Formats: sequence, structure tokens, C-alpha cells
Amino acid sequence: MIHNSPVSCKKYSPEPVASALPPDGPVYPSRAGTMGMWIFLTSLAILFAASMVGYLVVRSRFEQWPPEGMPPLPAGLWASTIVIMLSSLSIQIAYHCVRADKQGGLIATMLITTLLGVVFLFTQGLNWAWLIAINEKVNSGLYMSTFYLLTALHALHVIGGLIYLGYVTARSFTGTYHSAFHPGVKYAVMYWHFLGVVWLVMFVMIFLI
Amino acid sequence: MTTISSSYDPVPELAHGNNYLTHTRGVLSWLFTLDHKRIGVMYLVGILGSFFLGGVFAVLVRTELLFQGEQVLTDDQYNQMFTLHGAVMTFLVIIPGIPAALGNFVLPIMLGAKDVAFPRLNLASFYLWTLGAIFFLAVLASGGLDTGWTFYTPYSIETNTAVIGATAGAFILGFSSILTGMNFIVSIHQLRPPGMTWFKMPLFLWALYATAIIQVLATPVLAITLLLLIAERTFQVGIFDPKLGGDPVLYQHFFWFYSHPAVYIMILPAMGVISELVSVFSRKHIFGYRFIAYSSIAIALFGFLVWGHHMFTSGQSNMMNMIFSALTFSVSIPSAIKVFNWLATMYKGSISLATPMCYALIFIFLFGIGGLTGLFLTTLATDIQLHDTYFVVAHFHYVMMGGTMIAFFGALHYWWPKMTGRMYSEMWGRLAAFLVFVGFNTTFFPQFVAGSQGMPRRYADYKEMYAGYHFVSSIGSYIMAVAFVIMACYLLHSLFRGRKAPANPWGANTLEWHCSSPPPHQNFDEQPAVGDCYDYSGLEYDTATDSYVPKSRTAVTT
Ligand SMILES: [Cu+2]
Repeated sequence: MIHNSPVSCKKYSPEPVASALPPDGPVYPSRAGTMGMWIFLTSLAILFAASMVGYLVVRSRFEQWPPEGMPPLPAGLWASTIVIMLSSLSIQIAYHCVRADKQGGLIATMLITTLLGVVFLFTQGLNWAWLIAINEKVNSGLYMSTFYLLTALHALHVIGGLIYLGYVTARSFTGTYHSAFHPGVKYAVMYWHFLGVVWLVMFVMIFLI
Repeated sequence: MTTISSSYDPVPELAHGNNYLTHTRGVLSWLFTLDHKRIGVMYLVGILGSFFLGGVFAVLVRTELLFQGEQVLTDDQYNQMFTLHGAVMTFLVIIPGIPAALGNFVLPIMLGAKDVAFPRLNLASFYLWTLGAIFFLAVLASGGLDTGWTFYTPYSIETNTAVIGATAGAFILGFSSILTGMNFIVSIHQLRPPGMTWFKMPLFLWALYATAIIQVLATPVLAITLLLLIAERTFQVGIFDPKLGGDPVLYQHFFWFYSHPAVYIMILPAMGVISELVSVFSRKHIFGYRFIAYSSIAIALFGFLVWGHHMFTSGQSNMMNMIFSALTFSVSIPSAIKVFNWLATMYKGSISLATPMCYALIFIFLFGIGGLTGLFLTTLATDIQLHDTYFVVAHFHYVMMGGTMIAFFGALHYWWPKMTGRMYSEMWGRLAAFLVFVGFNTTFFPQFVAGSQGMPRRYADYKEMYAGYHFVSSIGSYIMAVAFVIMACYLLHSLFRGRKAPANPWGANTLEWHCSSPPPHQNFDEQPAVGDCYDYSGLEYDTATDSYVPKSRTAVTT
């Protein structure tokens, strides 16, 4: 009779990609991973909320906003908004693709999302360039500096997101993700939607009201 | 209590000749480890090193103040020394002290788990801490910092010391703190073993959980504050600059919105430690478990609503001052609930004055004074007089050092046998604890008196009338320094010559005492059974090993 040795390794979902599974846990994306991502996003949400509260406090000290003699913010912000909304849509499609095991669709939509992210940064850059062209810089008073700071804060997170999107896109080319294993895609989707929502709130606060 | 005793390895010392320290060898096996125990030990080394550095600054500050006039530091150097003392002690020692070093070591074992939920993130968090510490060292090397640890505007915008380096360091440390908090929250939610419901968790875990919530929710506000300060210095954006329409008091709001909750990041884990120590060394079930658990959460939530009490003299409206004052008074309720529950736990307990318990008792005494003197500062009328005096300095040292650091040393002595596998000398341990207690009170009690007579904080010199208080205070700091040197000596000595630690030297019943000392690499071979971690009736003293063993075991062998 075979000696019953203690089994220490955990059982993973059916092969063939079990070797691609990181050794931390059995199910991917795991509940722990998703929860960790939610907590991370909560923390970031507080960062953005605090920055916007700061913005509102600064703004409330002015009688008029934009202050007298200051130009309106560039209308190109609409373009940025449309681009980032489209990218949210495409990454959502990517999520559906990976859960339906449609590799081609996943690769295509991840590429589109990454591209749209770059376009978003580009349109934001154009908005800055437009302001700099009329000599409104980061030290041209609080109206301008708050705009630059808020958009820069958001853009930095978009850059971070793009790095991760690039990583996930590259890995989806090698067929890493499928319906039973797609943590990278899911985290990218959560983070990217989060940036979209943050931008919408920011857009409403600095441009529409 | 058969369920508990059955989870004991019959002869842990023999079954695990291979422990987490000997599991793999070499420097790289430490630097790239994902083992929460090793990460905890690395944190501990870093934090103790930082404590030494901050302590040197403190001794220099006290030496300058030993007599009137200039002693060892110029006025500018003095400003740098108290700033660096505060910044190093706050950001590098007290905030990460208990959660990141000791919490990292015991949290997964207390959960009967192999590791935290995200081991790689845990290592990343340690390296962020290291990077932040390097920034602080760079600041030290590049001309220091003289803003005070609070970086208050407008001075922090004007001074030409290394504000950006220091704020960048604090920013990185904040990031490390967020990652640790996130890891702990998920670990506690997802890794609790079958049978360990929320209300069967050790109270230390409740405290770490409440702490983690604050770390995750408050630290981002510090991040944005420091980023704005950097932007202000780099681009003159004007947010904190009245000349450009900004508001320097806005900085204070932002800063304290983080830094008051940060006070609870510092004290809650300490309270968690005390809850464990008091019960174990009284050999009595913790009294009012649910009250202690809930009060941790209550403190965490209340902590977000009281930041304005740092700004009673900054020109807040009277209405705001009254609201913040009232809310601050209410925080003392959950704090007092804990103290009363600890006292009730000790009542009629069979108290053993082992070194960790000495620290627990010192904590209760000093934290009591720290808390009660806080009431004078919460009261608007008295705060006008006491604001920015040595009364405040004494108050927060009673809480931060008398509270958090004392609990840290209690925890260090409590888990030292578990972490290192060695026992330190009880006699020297108690002596050091006694000297810390004497030195601490000699240092800080006179400061209450000096402060109430108007001695302002952060001054390099003082009038004749304060000379006596300052002299005594400085002598006290030397007594403490001696105590810490003694502590370093006997702890280091124990590493080489100490008696091998048994699995359960204190007779505790949380899960980390169910595995050998030091624990094996994987903590447990199989999922340990969970019982009531404050029920000691299943344990009895074993003279052969000078430790506690399950009753059933001796019953079988004898
Ligand atoms: Cu406070």
C-alpha cells in the first residue's frame, strides 16, 4: 500500500495552463485579488477626492470663476472626455471577450484601449499647449494652476495605467488569459474604468460648473 | 479543550529543525524573500536602526537644552535636530513600528495562514519603506531640514533646506503604509481559518484591521498634501500662498486630516498589543472582548472627524473650534473603554511581571497620563494658553512614546522568543523596563510644568525660570538612553547565548504560540484548530521546559 504522504500543494483548475498560474492561490482572479484592487481604488479615490475638495475650497474664495480677465478652459476637453469614454467601452468589450475565450477580440480591444489611452494623453497635451500658447501657465494664478495640477494628477495615473495596459496587452498576445484565468485583464478593467469616472467628475467640476 | 491541544505538534523543537531562519541561506534569500516572517524581521532591523538615529537626534536636542545658552548646537542646527528627530521617529519608526515589523511577523500566523494575502506586495512595501528611509538619509546628508516634522507653510515654501527630498520621502513611506494596510485588510478578510469568526480573532488583529482602514483612507490625503507642497515650491502654484490668493491654513487642514488619524495609526496597534499582553500575563480571559474590538473601530472612525483640534489658534471660526473640541472629547470614550477593560482583565488575575507585562503596565500608566493631559488641550480656553508650549510636547510624547513605543518594546519582548528562538535575560529585561519608565517620566513630566508656565516648544534657548525643568528633563533623557543601550546589549546577547526558546514560554493561546520557536517556513503543517484564544484553561506549566504545554499532553506522558 502506498504511504499516504501529506499533500501540501493546492489543487488548481483543470490544465493546460496551470503552469502559468502564480503560486499564491487557486482561483484567478481570486476574491483576494479583486478585493485588494477595490481597496487600492478606494485609496486612490480619496486622493482624487481630496484634490477636488482642495480645488473647491480654492475656488470658493473667488467671487467669480473664471476670475476676471481669464479665458475659458479649452473646448478640447470635450475631445478628451469622448476619447476616454470610448476607451472605457473598448476595455469593457475586452473583458467580455476574455470571459468568452475570444482571443482575437481580446487582443484587438486591448490594443484599441491602449491606443485610445495614448490619444487621451495627446488631446490633454493639446489642451495644455493651447493654454501655453496664449501664455497661461501653471504659475498664472490659481485658476490656471489648479487646472494644470488636477489634469496632471489624472494624467500621471493614466500613464501608470497605460504601462499596465501595455503589459496586459503584451501578455494577451501570448494567450495568457482565458475565461478561467484573467486577473490582469480584470484589474486593468477596474483601474481603467476608475480613471474614466475620475475624469468625468473632474471634467464636470472644472469645466461644466 | 481537546480541539486546541490537538493542534499542538507533539515535539515542535524536534519536528522543525528546519525553521524560517534556516530554511534557506544567504543574503539574497533574505533580500528576495516573500516570507512574511523574514520581511517582518527586515522591517524590524530597519526600524530599530531608525529608532537609534532618531534617538541620537533626541539626545543632541536635550544636550543643547541641558543649560541655558549654546551648548553643542547652533540655533540652525538645533532647528534641524528637532525636525529630523520628529520626522524620523514619526514616519520611519512609530507609524510602521508595530504593524509593519511585528504585525507582519505575527498576523498570518495568528490567522493560521502560510503568509499574507499578497506576499510580493508585502516585499514591495518593505522596499518602499527602505527607499523612503534613503530619502531621509539623503536629506540628512544634504543639509538637513528645519521646518518641523509638520512641514507647515508658508515657512516650508521659503526655507532653503531639503523640503522636497523630505516630503518625497514621506510620500514614498505613505505609499508603503497604504500597501501594508491593504494587504492586512485582505488577509484578515480572506485568510481567517475555518472557525475563526470575526469575534474569535485575537484583539491584536482587530487593532491591525482598524489601523489598516485608516492607513488606506487617510494616507492618500497626506500624499496629495505633500504633492501640493512640492508643486508649490517648484512652480509657485499659489495654493498655500496668500500673496497669490492661496491659504496657508488650507495646508494645515490637509496635513492634519491625515496626521490626526495617523495618531491612531500609531496608537491602535499599540492598544492591540496591550490587549494581548494583559490577558496572557494575568492568566485570565480578556474582559469585554467585544467592547475592545468595537472601540478600535470607533477610534478609527472618530479619528477622521477631529483634525481641527490642531488648529484652535490658526484662525478657525469659533463654531468650528467648538465642534472640533466636542468631537475630540468624544474620542476619549473608546480609549477609556479599553483602559477600563484592561484593568478589569487584571482584576483578580494571577499577574506575572515578566518583561512584556512590565511594558504593558507602563503603557497603561503613561497612556493614561497622555490621554488625560489631552483633555486640557481639547478644552478651548486652556488650549489658548498651552498651544505650542512644552505641555503639548510632553502630552504627545506620553502618547507616542509612552504609548506606542512602550507597547512596541512590550511586543518586541513578547514575540522575541518566537522571532529569534532565544530567550533574553528576564533580570536585565525588567531592569531596562524600569529604567525606561524612570527616565521617561524624568524627561517628560517636568515638561508639563514648564509648558504650563509658558515655555514654548522648538526654541533653542530659554529663560532662567525654566532652567531647572530643562536640566532634569535632559538628565531623564540620558537615563532612557542608558536603558536602551542595556536593552540592545541583552537582546543581542540573547541571540548568541540565550536559552533556546520553547514553543510557548508565556502560556499564551493565540495561534503563533502553537507553532515552534522560531516557526517553520510554512508556519503550520496543517490548518490549526481554532478555539478561544483567551482561554488558558487548557494549558499548564511544564517545569522541564520552563514553558506552557497542553494539559492533555502531560497527562499522557506522566
Ligand atoms: Cu490630533
